[in-house]
Amino acid sequence: MKPWLVVMLKELRDASRDRRALLSLFIFPVLGPAMIYFMFTKIIDLGEQVQDIELPVVGAEFAPDLMDFLRQNGITIKNLEMDVTAGSFSASVSTEVLAAITKRTYDFALLIPTDFGTQVTESQTVNVEIHHDSSRPSAGIKISRVQSLIEAWGRETTALRLLVRGINPSLIRPINVGRIDIASDQARAQSLLNMIPMFVIMAAFLSGVGIAVDATAGERERKSLEPLLVNPVLRSQFVLGKWFAAAVFSILGLIMVMTLNMVALSNVPLEELGISFNIGPTEIVGILLVTVPLAFFATSLQIFVGVFAKSFKDAQVYIGLMSLLPMLPYMYNILNTTGRELWMSLVPMLGQNMLLSDVVSGRTPALPDFALAAACLLLWSLVFIASAAKLLKRERIIFL
Amino acid sequence: MIRIENLVKHFGKVAAVDGISFSAKNGAITGLLGHNGAGKSTCLRVLYGLLKADSGKVLLDEIDVLQQPLLAQQRIGVMTDAHGLYPRLTAREHIAYFARLRGMSEEKIAQRSQLLLTQLGMQDIADRRATGYSQGEKMKVCLARALVHDPQNIIMDEPTNGLDVMTTRSVRSILHELKTANKCVLLSSHIMQEVSALCDEVIVIAGGKALYQGGLEQLLAHTKESNLEDAFVNMTGAAL
Repeated sequence: MKPWLVVMLKELRDASRDRRALLSLFIFPVLGPAMIYFMFTKIIDLGEQVQDIELPVVGAEFAPDLMDFLRQNGITIKNLEMDVTAGSFSASVSTEVLAAITKRTYDFALLIPTDFGTQVTESQTVNVEIHHDSSRPSAGIKISRVQSLIEAWGRETTALRLLVRGINPSLIRPINVGRIDIASDQARAQSLLNMIPMFVIMAAFLSGVGIAVDATAGERERKSLEPLLVNPVLRSQFVLGKWFAAAVFSILGLIMVMTLNMVALSNVPLEELGISFNIGPTEIVGILLVTVPLAFFATSLQIFVGVFAKSFKDAQVYIGLMSLLPMLPYMYNILNTTGRELWMSLVPMLGQNMLLSDVVSGRTPALPDFALAAACLLLWSLVFIASAAKLLKRERIIFL
Repeated sequence: MIRIENLVKHFGKVAAVDGISFSAKNGAITGLLGHNGAGKSTCLRVLYGLLKADSGKVLLDEIDVLQQPLLAQQRIGVMTDAHGLYPRLTAREHIAYFARLRGMSEEKIAQRSQLLLTQLGMQDIADRRATGYSQGEKMKVCLARALVHDPQNIIMDEPTNGLDVMTTRSVRSILHELKTANKCVLLSSHIMQEVSALCDEVIVIAGGKALYQGGLEQLLAHTKESNLEDAFVNMTGAAL
C-alpha cells in the first residue's frame, strides 16, 4: 500500500468516528435542499394567496355597494356575525376581532360602520377600519390588495359626486400612475434556481472542512505531528493522503446535496410556476463533472490553511472566512451584465458557477468550457497542495 | 550504531547545539544527560531527521542522515517527547498505522503488534480508543509504535518522564531486551537515577556541548565525586 493511501484510509476511519467531522459532512447537504424546498413552496403559496383572498367583514350589510365592488374584483366576502348595536367600532367588537386574529382564525378583518349608507348618501367622508397584525408578513400582500380596491371604490364615488354637481372629475385627478409588475412568480422561481449552483459550491467547501482541519491543524495541536513525520515517508505523501480523505468527504457532501436537491425540486409543483426542470442522467453526469474538481479545490485550500494556521482555532477563523468565498461568484453572476467571456472560465468557482447555471437551466455547456474550468481548478489545487507539503518541511511549522 | 561529529544547530542567533560529538554503540544503552535546554532534544531531532543541521556530520549505521534522511529513518524507531495520540483510534490501530506507513505486511503487523502488546502489558487497552488513556498507557502506545518495525536503532526523548514505578519498570525491561538483541539504544534524560539505573554509557551535555562520554564509574573518577549527582553538578556547573 502506498503511504498516501495508508494516510487517507486512517484519516477516513478517524473522521468516521468524529462527531464534528460527520456533522460538517451532513449538516449543509441536508439543510440546503430543505431551504430550497421551503422557499419554492412559499413562492407557490404566495402566488395562490393573491389570486384568492377571503375578506372577513363586520357589518357587510351596511355597505352593499362596496361589497359588490369587492366581489367583482375577485374578493370573497365572509360576513362575520357580530352584535353591532353599540356601533361597529365599539370596544366589544374590536376585542372580539382582536382575539380572533390572535387565535389565527383569520389574519385581518374589515370593519364597516352602521351608518355607512347615510354617510355616503350625505356625501360625507366615511371611516372604515382594517384590523390586522403587521408582524404577519403573509397577510401583507392581501391587505394592500384589499386597501387599494377600497380606495379605487372611493375614487369612483368621488367621480360620481363631482359629476352630479356638474364638475369634471379629472379636475381633481391630474395624474394617474399605472404600475405593471412584470416580475412573475416564474421569474422569482428562476432566480431561486440560480441559487442552486451556490448551494452546490458551498457544499463542496463545508463537507470536507472537518476532516481537512482535524488532519492538519488538529494533528499539530494534539502533538501527533512530530511522531508521524518521523516515519520514512515523503511529506507530499502525508499531504496527499489527508487531501484525498477530505476530498472524499467533500464529494460525498456534493452527491448528497445534489440528490436531496433533486428530491426537493421534484416534490415542488414547478409546473404551476411554468418552469420546466428536467434533470436526467446527462445533466447529473454534467453536474458531477463540474463539481468533483470543486471538491478537490476546496479541500486543497483548506489543507493548506490548516497546515499554515497556528492552532485549530486559528484555522477555524480562516476557514470560517473562506466559507464566504462561494457567494462571490453568485453575486458576480447577479451583477454581471456583459455576458460570458473567456477569462471567467479561468477564475476558480466563477467558471463552475456559470457551468452549473447552464446545466440547471437546461443548456448544455460547451466541452472546452468544461475542460478549461476543471483544468484551471485542478491546477490551483496542486499549487495549494505543493505549498502545503513545502510548509510541512519547515522546522517552524513542525515545532511551533 | 550512531555517530555525531561536530554537530552545530542555531535557532536564530542562539546556538542550541554548538559542536557536539559523540557515538552510541550497538548492544548498549547510551544516555544523553543534561539540564532542560542543554540541547538534548535538538540533537535527537537532527538525528531523526526533523531538524536540519547547520554543519557537522550525523551517521546512522554509516548512512549520512543529513544527505539521506528517509533512508536513515527506516533504520530508527523514535519515541519523541511529544506523545500525541489520535483520540478516536485504538492502541492496536495506532501501532498498525505506523507499521503500514513503513510498508510492513499485514501478517507481520499482526504478529509484531501482538508481541509488543503482550510485552508491554497492554492487552486490556489494545482495542480501546485512546480517549482517557493514562500517561503510562499513552507512553506504552508510543513505545510500541516506535518499535513495531523492529528497528536497529532506538531513540527516545525523556522516555520515563512522568511515569509511575510499574510503567517505568516495563520500559526498563524492554530496553534491556533491546540491548541483549544487540540494538543501539540512545535516550535522553535529566534524571540522574534514571541514567545510572539504565545506561552503560553517558554523555553529559551542557550549553550545547558534550562535556564527557564514557562509563559511569569513570565519570565518578573523572570528577573525583562519590555519587553521580554530585559529579553531574560539578561538571555542568563548571561549564556554565
